[in-house]
Amino acid sequence: MIWIDGVLVSRGEGGVYGERMIRGHRVWDPCRSKLAAYYYLGGEVSLEPWMRVLYLGAAHGTTVSHVSDSAEVVYAVENAYAPMRDLLAVASRRKNIIPLFADAAHPSSYAPLVEEVDLLFQDVAHPDQAGIALMNLPFLRRGGTALIVVKARSIDVTQKPADVVHEVSQKLAESGLISRRVIWLEPYHRDHAILECPKD
Amino acid sequence: MTPGKPRSLLMPSYWFGDVTGGKCTPAGSTDPEYLSRRLEGIRTEMESFCPPAWEAARDCGFVCSRGEYIRVLRELCIFRAEKALGLVAARPEQELIQMVHMRDQLDEAINLVTGRALEWHAARSPEFSRKFHALKGKRALEILLETGSPRVRGIATGMMHLSEIRADLTREIEQTAGEVIPNCTGLVGGIVAARLLAAAGGLEALARLPAGTIQVLGARTALFAHIRSGSSPPKHGIIYQYRGVHGAQKGRRGKVSRTLAAKIALAARIDYFRGERDEGFLDNARAAVERAAGGPGT
Repeated sequence: MIWIDGVLVSRGEGGVYGERMIRGHRVWDPCRSKLAAYYYLGGEVSLEPWMRVLYLGAAHGTTVSHVSDSAEVVYAVENAYAPMRDLLAVASRRKNIIPLFADAAHPSSYAPLVEEVDLLFQDVAHPDQAGIALMNLPFLRRGGTALIVVKARSIDVTQKPADVVHEVSQKLAESGLISRRVIWLEPYHRDHAILECPKD
Repeated sequence: MTPGKPRSLLMPSYWFGDVTGGKCTPAGSTDPEYLSRRLEGIRTEMESFCPPAWEAARDCGFVCSRGEYIRVLRELCIFRAEKALGLVAARPEQELIQMVHMRDQLDEAINLVTGRALEWHAARSPEFSRKFHALKGKRALEILLETGSPRVRGIATGMMHLSEIRADLTREIEQTAGEVIPNCTGLVGGIVAARLLAAAGGLEALARLPAGTIQVLGARTALFAHIRSGSSPPKHGIIYQYRGVHGAQKGRRGKVSRTLAAKIALAARIDYFRGERDEGFLDNARAAVERAAGGPGT
């Protein structure tokens, strides 16, 4: 990861979403991107230039553009119409984004196209976030890591966020995916945590 | 490739080629359209799934390098996404959703600007007061058109023009809704039906919603306040705007909304799967809603 005076940046063509530039680098804002917040809060699973990434819930391609700056290739899955249009615009100018207009809960629809990846990043608003992560686990190589954003409020608004996260990590553990670390994204994002799960 | 013939495990197919008897035959072209059609014939079982490796495509003779693999794959995926987006955009209900959003936005803009122009007018003529005038919409604009300030008159003219556009748009929504969602429109009118459609996100989405959800579509704040802190649950969302609901006796509105929502759920399914107006269904549904509004058990 590239830091300039304590500010997280990535190296690439700017002007994707009006991001600020510092000395020719694109500022990666932790308030806008959960992945950036993860790095600000001491997340250690960094992006490397050789990495292949599967990104579930790519949305408008804001974070994806930074991942594309830092990794070899990004498979970006998004299933909503309006965000996909923006994502395609981002992908049209970045040669290493492979956009997939598909539902992450139905991986068989994009399975023939996605190779084995080193990092699985998941940021989906869905009640069964653990289930989606497990369904997509076959794409992750052994020794790779899954970074799973748990949006506590998308799972159950009536429960305490900490309980929801505990439940998700338990469900993952039952299928053999142990969360090595939980990072809460306060103060950048409320009621969101990232689970760091290595696959062995 | 023989269509319809099941592929055995010994003959795996990849997007870039087919393996037969241990030998890989590369796909005939790197053209995205050709590859996309090829892909339609490939089924994947997630249980026995093993991701394709780019090296296999190289050994197959489909590409020479990793760079070329990514380039061809990316073109294929962009082609597929653009095609799928085109299909989505071609659904007539998507335009209806935009139209109803635009109408709401016009209302908001006209009210805001008219309100501000009235304040300006009041500042110029101290005897003017908004009290004791039923200063709604058109009447307010007419007063502004008679003011001394040419600027305020210009703004009022502009708003008059927007109001006309809004009226035309309303007619157009009613008409389009009557074609796209004829049964929902038959029940609650084009505007309310189109709003429900917009809130659900599409006709298919609306057709798949349970009646209980349709009943409180648009009452998100109240619903979550209820779930969170146990305040009383919302009885109605968007459907409150239907005359039959807000015009019903206060104690009966809950029952009316419940019945109406159940009928809208059915209507949406008829609209989605059959797409034609069903007079028999509409008569029965309207009768059921009327019974709920004033039937026995009052």
